[in-house]
Amino acid sequence: MLPQAIVNGLLFGSVYATIGIGFSLVWGVMNIINVAHGSFIMIGAYLSYTLFALYGLDPFLSIPPVMAVLFLLAYAIQKYVLNRVVRGSVFITLTFTFGLQILIANLCLLLWSADSRSIKLPYSSAGWQIGGLVIPLVRLGIFGVALLLTGLFYLFMRRTRTGVAINATALNFEGAKTVGIDVYNIYAITFGVSAALAGAAGCLISPIMSINPFGGGPLVAKAFVIAILGGLGSTVGALVGGLALGLVETVGTVFISSSFQELLGFTVLVLVLVFRPQGLMGKRFYE
Amino acid sequence: MIPQAGGGRWKAAGALLLAVLALLLAAAPFLLTGFWVRLLTYIFMFSVLSSALNIIAGFTGYAAFGNMVFFGLGAYTTAVLMSKARLGFVPAFLGSALVAGITAVLLGLLLLRLKGHYFALGTLGAAEAVKYLIENLTGLTGGGQGLTVPPLRGRPATVNTFFYFLMLLLLVVILLVVWRLSRNRLGYALKAIRANEEAAGVMGIDTTRYKITAWVLSALFTGVTGSIYAYWFTYIDAPTVFDVMWVVKMFVIILIGGAGTVFGPVIGAFILETISELVWSRFLNLHLGILGLIIILVVLFMPRGIISLVTQGKSLLSLAHRRRPPGRQPQGRPRGEDGQ
Repeated sequence: MLPQAIVNGLLFGSVYATIGIGFSLVWGVMNIINVAHGSFIMIGAYLSYTLFALYGLDPFLSIPPVMAVLFLLAYAIQKYVLNRVVRGSVFITLTFTFGLQILIANLCLLLWSADSRSIKLPYSSAGWQIGGLVIPLVRLGIFGVALLLTGLFYLFMRRTRTGVAINATALNFEGAKTVGIDVYNIYAITFGVSAALAGAAGCLISPIMSINPFGGGPLVAKAFVIAILGGLGSTVGALVGGLALGLVETVGTVFISSSFQELLGFTVLVLVLVFRPQGLMGKRFYE
Repeated sequence: MIPQAGGGRWKAAGALLLAVLALLLAAAPFLLTGFWVRLLTYIFMFSVLSSALNIIAGFTGYAAFGNMVFFGLGAYTTAVLMSKARLGFVPAFLGSALVAGITAVLLGLLLLRLKGHYFALGTLGAAEAVKYLIENLTGLTGGGQGLTVPPLRGRPATVNTFFYFLMLLLLVVILLVVWRLSRNRLGYALKAIRANEEAAGVMGIDTTRYKITAWVLSALFTGVTGSIYAYWFTYIDAPTVFDVMWVVKMFVIILIGGAGTVFGPVIGAFILETISELVWSRFLNLHLGILGLIIILVVLFMPRGIISLVTQGKSLLSLAHRRRPPGRQPQGRPRGEDGQ
């Protein structure tokens, strides 16, 4: 039972990593806790569901168009709305993203109703058996795509001018402005990239989780834990944090009754905040 | 409670206005139907909760997103004491205040050293942890089934009137406290902490003590409101009395009215609750969406609240285009709130 739990945890942890990276990026660069990150995930999941229901498009293939849609949506939100208050206090930005989250949840409710949706793939039961271990094909595919996205994001942040500009803006807002970076445009791109990753995560969870308008909330709580554990804006940190969280969750179910898991999770979160706010890895985002 | 007036005539007008308002509030439960009395009581409740949050968030600048922990603990303390220990409401009410106050001291020692997002989310995490703890203490709290509180006996109209005046009394008390706070030593210390905590510390203000005092004050009022809520609604469960959305609503109320002002939260509560009541009854499926839209619009156009429109004579437009002055701090570690 334990080896199987470890495999499941690692496979699903990759999705947590994808979610955590985008959340951590926005936090690290703009100092915004984006509560609406979970709503972006749910939009991605719903779009993936709709494309599958209408055209039979495989959720893995719907990732690129869904990422594009979410990038544009979030880019526009940041550019025309959020940029007006982005330099405000925590009080303002946190309340704003809460508002955005319930607005999006209500729109999803109107468009797709409150019924839970799910995708049943033709190959959902396919998989391999190695010894006593079961490795489902779908989850392996999710793992692979999530790792690919993480790798691409890492390269984007390191090797492209835009990625470097994002890093520069995060490090020193005024300095970035001085050297001619259009910082507010960079903010919009940052928010867009973060939402695109959330949309991809939505596509990835669509074949294995039920989709409902309010499903994003718990995922945001997890993204938050990953961002703290991994260090703000750190891709490698978020990857390790995501895999670790997936592992802890599934292995935890073997040892601890599920009713105490949330209690334990939040207690650990508070203790980490109090005693190691710089994260377990102790790295800042530019490393 | 009268805003500082220039001459005697203004003072007299203010006193007259206050007298009329008091008379109206006193007569309301006897003139209005049960629905409106309950709605007013509900608005008073949110005014008290938002005023309490305003002490720590508005005056001190600490965004306590987990403030519902005191409401939930207050409600559960009263429910347990009344249903299990068979105590009356008054001792249960005092018990709720005690539990909320002690929790605030303990959480304050732990969390008030954090700043900005870290404090906001630390309190949120603590509130969730307490919620799950309460849900798991099934023997005491009934777990997921919730708790039923022995109801106040009497005709529905009498019961409505009782809770109306109880909540109104609590509102008057907290307004007096906040009003005192806006002009006494503690209040100035809190504002100094909000403006610049390091500087306040250097000036000899015992920041830790003042911050904890502010949070305990906030917690006491939130806790006893929870106590009244439990007695009023006669049934509580953890997802309701620890609901994070309530805190979000309180923040919106504070933003609408004006953070760090005495009457802002009351104005905000009246506006937001009236709007949501109108929306609730007409567009049930749009309720949340409209609330979300209100939140976004308020943050964008009135980040200083309606009161600022009066006190500072600023137009909506100029507020909308208000950009913060530059001064970005390094990222990747906790940082304080800018003086908002």
